[in-house]
Amino acid sequence: MKIFFYKSILVFILFILAIHFSFGVITKQIKREYSSIVSKEKIEQIKNKLREEIKTGTEKEVLINPKDAKLLNNFLIKLRSELEKTKNK
Amino acid sequence: MINKIKNFQYIFLSLTYLIIVLVVLSTFKDFGVHIEEKFHRMNGLYWLNYIAQIFNFEKISLISEIKLKEISDYTLSSVEHYNKYGVIFDVPLALIEIVFNIEKIENVYHIKHFFSFIIFLISSFFFYKILIKRFKNFFLCLAGTVLFITSPRIFGDSFLYKDVLFLSFFNIALFFLLKSSDSLNLKNIFFFSVFSAIAFNLRIFGIFLPVTFFLILIIKSLNNKNIYSYFKFYSFYLFSLICLIIFFSPYLWSNTLANFLDIFLALKRDLIDADIKILFNNEFIINRNAPDSYLFTWIFISTPITTLILFSLGYFFYSKRFIKRFINIKKEQIYNDLWRGQNEQKDFIIFFILTSFYLSLLVFNSPFYNGWRLVYFLNIFIIYFTVYQINNLIILYRKDYLKRKIILLFALASIIHNVICLVIYHPYQSYYFTELISNNKKNTFEGDYYGISGKHFFLKLSSDNKDQKIKIAVASHTPLHRSLESIDFDLRKNFEVVGQEYKNADFIYKNNISEVNSNLNKKYNIPNNFVKIYELNVNGIKIYEIFKNIK
Repeated sequence: MKIFFYKSILVFILFILAIHFSFGVITKQIKREYSSIVSKEKIEQIKNKLREEIKTGTEKEVLINPKDAKLLNNFLIKLRSELEKTKNK
Repeated sequence: MINKIKNFQYIFLSLTYLIIVLVVLSTFKDFGVHIEEKFHRMNGLYWLNYIAQIFNFEKISLISEIKLKEISDYTLSSVEHYNKYGVIFDVPLALIEIVFNIEKIENVYHIKHFFSFIIFLISSFFFYKILIKRFKNFFLCLAGTVLFITSPRIFGDSFLYKDVLFLSFFNIALFFLLKSSDSLNLKNIFFFSVFSAIAFNLRIFGIFLPVTFFLILIIKSLNNKNIYSYFKFYSFYLFSLICLIIFFSPYLWSNTLANFLDIFLALKRDLIDADIKILFNNEFIINRNAPDSYLFTWIFISTPITTLILFSLGYFFYSKRFIKRFINIKKEQIYNDLWRGQNEQKDFIIFFILTSFYLSLLVFNSPFYNGWRLVYFLNIFIIYFTVYQINNLIILYRKDYLKRKIILLFALASIIHNVICLVIYHPYQSYYFTELISNNKKNTFEGDYYGISGKHFFLKLSSDNKDQKIKIAVASHTPLHRSLESIDFDLRKNFEVVGQEYKNADFIYKNNISEVNSNLNKKYNIPNNFVKIYELNVNGIKIYEIFKNIK
């Protein structure tokens, strides 16, 4: 009875610690990573970065190179014509 | 001859305490008001009013109600909301405030600080009694007690009636636990239940006391067929503990069971601030997701190095002995399984509480903030194992007079080091960091989380800008306006705290306490039209800075 009691306690403690130092630690790590990515400050930082990039973009004389501009223009015309067609149907 | 020695010891001990009291009497007013004192005053008055209404003490009820209405603070939650806080200190002090008609608010806080320290000092005497019963060496135990009192962070906090108040009552309860384990009788058990109930009233961690007592009796009963007697004593303990917990908590006087369960539920719900950011090793981490090393790191960086070395060795050697005992458990044996005599039983209890508590914190992923202040009571165990190790060394070198003296000198050097730190850091001892880490590193951890520098800040501005109306902005999570109560009313009315409205401010107060990641969030950034005019630096720790508006 006595030996059984001590062995049970030992097994119980080791089991809890094994769970903690394997599953528990990994969960904590994932939570930490996740919360640092989706934190309010991080989102705010990304927004600010976007604002800065747009601002520097608009300050440039040429925003996109002529080849890309032509490509985009063609794409928008095509898109528009297809949308018009769908509307008429 | 024995009587003469005993008399000498008592005189020496009394003199030590007298010196400490005299030093504290001349310095205790230097400590600032911490940010939660206003709430504790409110808590005391609220429950005093409740008790006075029940027992029909009309005058006290009326005065406490008036005083309660006078307390206003837009950043402070009502007591109705946070109604589970312990009242064991707050209510008697609210009664003293009313009975002695203390009008000046700063005096109310000074008295609270003084009483808080006196309770700590009384508990240190119980610590001395624990040590002397175990080690039976007067100078060693006296050294241990002085180390206990002068541990810088603990000493600094002992005036602030929060975590060290719990430490004090836990320590007294531990004394009676050890006494009850040595000799089971109703008197010891009753006192043990009284102090366990008070400890529980202050912090839920007090629950470790009945659990430990239960385990000790179980282990004893495995080798001793006295189960019925142990059961009887434990039932008595449990019964008186429950009655006293209810007695000490007016919150439990109605809807007892539901409210009792709510104490545990509230812990999860609102008492632990959900997901606040804390500065830890130059990173802002969420307090609920603190790394496992959080507590260990904090203890390491804010405990004097000599104490830390001796504690580590003491804990290591006791663990070794414990494992040996555990491996050698036999079906039938004369002694107890895990200890031989009463001294070893004491070591086991201390070891068990420390280890099981630390592991529970890890397993239950307890949230932390402000360093290790929530578990300052662990200092009892740290100093116990420190003394244990010094005793081991004395026994090891018992035949070598010189080495024995060197060990005692080492203990004396630790005390002198602590005292020097207390002087250097005064009154910011609760922000002590070990000399092992660089000044830069010190500032990568939370600093003045209690906002006790507020008093120094207001007094400094008052002396530099006599009789001028000053607007103060706060670049910190600290509710600075609460510190106004630490200064005289005539000075207080010259200040207006405007929060984070920097454009309206003449000066900005800044410390490194932030609930958001201040590397990413610009909330506490100082605007360009402000220049730094002052920095309070204590031993490399930036306590606070003042910025002036140059328009």
